[in-house]
Amino acid sequence: MKRRGVVGRALRQMGEDLWLQGVAISTLAVALAIMGAYLALCLNLNQAAGRLLTGPTLLVVTDPQVRPEEGRVLAAELARLPGVASAAYVDQQEAMIRFRRQLGPQADLLDDLETNPLPNAVELVLTPDLAAPPELAAYIKNMAGVSDVVTGRPWLQRLERALRAGGELAVALGILLFLAVVLVTSNTVRLAVHVRRRELELMALVGAGGGYMRGPFLVEAVLQGLAAAALASLLLWGLFVLLAAPDALPWGLRLGQILAFPPLLPGALGGLAVVSGLMGGFLGVGRSLHPREVL
Amino acid sequence: MILLEEVSKVYPHREEPALKGVSLQVAPGEFVYLTGPSGAGKTTLLRLLYGAELPSKGRVVVGGTDLGRLAPRHLPLLRRRLGLVFQDFRLMPRRSVFENVALSLEVAGTDRRIVERRVEEVLEQVKLSRLAKSPADTLSGGEQQRVALARALAPGPDLILADEPTGNLDPENALAMMRLLVGDYVGGATVLVATHDPTLLSLVRGGRVVHLERGRLEEAS
Repeated sequence: MKRRGVVGRALRQMGEDLWLQGVAISTLAVALAIMGAYLALCLNLNQAAGRLLTGPTLLVVTDPQVRPEEGRVLAAELARLPGVASAAYVDQQEAMIRFRRQLGPQADLLDDLETNPLPNAVELVLTPDLAAPPELAAYIKNMAGVSDVVTGRPWLQRLERALRAGGELAVALGILLFLAVVLVTSNTVRLAVHVRRRELELMALVGAGGGYMRGPFLVEAVLQGLAAAALASLLLWGLFVLLAAPDALPWGLRLGQILAFPPLLPGALGGLAVVSGLMGGFLGVGRSLHPREVL
Repeated sequence: MILLEEVSKVYPHREEPALKGVSLQVAPGEFVYLTGPSGAGKTTLLRLLYGAELPSKGRVVVGGTDLGRLAPRHLPLLRRRLGLVFQDFRLMPRRSVFENVALSLEVAGTDRRIVERRVEEVLEQVKLSRLAKSPADTLSGGEQQRVALARALAPGPDLILADEPTGNLDPENALAMMRLLVGDYVGGATVLVATHDPTLLSLVRGGRVVHLERGRLEEAS
């Protein structure tokens, strides 16, 4: 005769009620898909923001009479300054090409310009630990061949602050969503406990301990969670493929980049499903397996 | 084996107490009939003995353990020393006879080979070996009650509590069941059989009879 361990008992009790499994897995899959969509959106937005915000920068505008070769020499000189991570000379033609790329479908707006208004410049990326950028800017401004130093882009700084606040809000919302998934899991486990109430009471009467009775429900919750995570990942992948149109957005961003399916998402959802399965399992079984509460 | 001292049990929303000042002492190995009409408090008394209820007053001691002081987490350890038989059999209907009997050993973490050997042994005793693989719900009432008894006997309990074990059986099966309970199979365990049917006492003679009437205990013989 065959005896089973906790996983075997969990699989058997799952097999005995396939309808219940269907309800539990589909409910969890919806909850995890919402969580996954949220995670994917946060990850993609974070990456998009990373492309926009490349850290502290300075734009050194060169005098109009400075030739490209001299501009490159200046860039090399600037790159050696303390606090400067890198320096690159960008002439006005290259700057215009970039600007057109960033404007995307709206680039034809630039066709009406008679002359290129963009200056030749050296783009500096500063090290994040630089203590006093204004002093560095003042020093550079006095260097030969430098016409102006654009020290900051206030709208980007505001965007950075807004993104930081948004990030904190996103974490709080993520925690709430995770708690909702735990709640859904605990309710499905509670339903499973209710369906098998008579059997559990019988086990309690013959001396089964909490672990013996609880074990299969925890394993069941985890297995259901993993199945639901796979289903949710598949659902989200399909949805992202459908929604990620090739249309370009302002600043050179593409919808396909914002709505890209993160490759780590199935793993993250699986991990969440395991943790929420264990937490929800404990909460769902809870007091309903109290040894005194028998028929 | 069993000691009840001035035990009373009052249920909320019920005027009359289920048990009133019940005192009883049962020695190890003793066979006791607990008789009385329906509603006399027999089931309540048994529930107190296997820890499904706590007394409102008094002390319940089983095998030296004061159940009033026993932490719920230790209750399973006590129940593994008991064998419980109910009128409605309380089997897992879709599981095989073997699985039903093995349950009382598995919950205690008994080794697989010992479980197999012991289950075969008790199924032989209750004459159900040939049905070991049959699902419990395909058996007759008499057979199901014998499975329940086998489950109770499998761990070799110190105390067997049977609540109306013949209530759902015809006279022939009732007699067979009682013979099993008073036979050598119980291995010297203390047996307490609750019944409202006085004819049961004449079926199998021997053993002490205690009578419950409206929650009060009277020693009959």
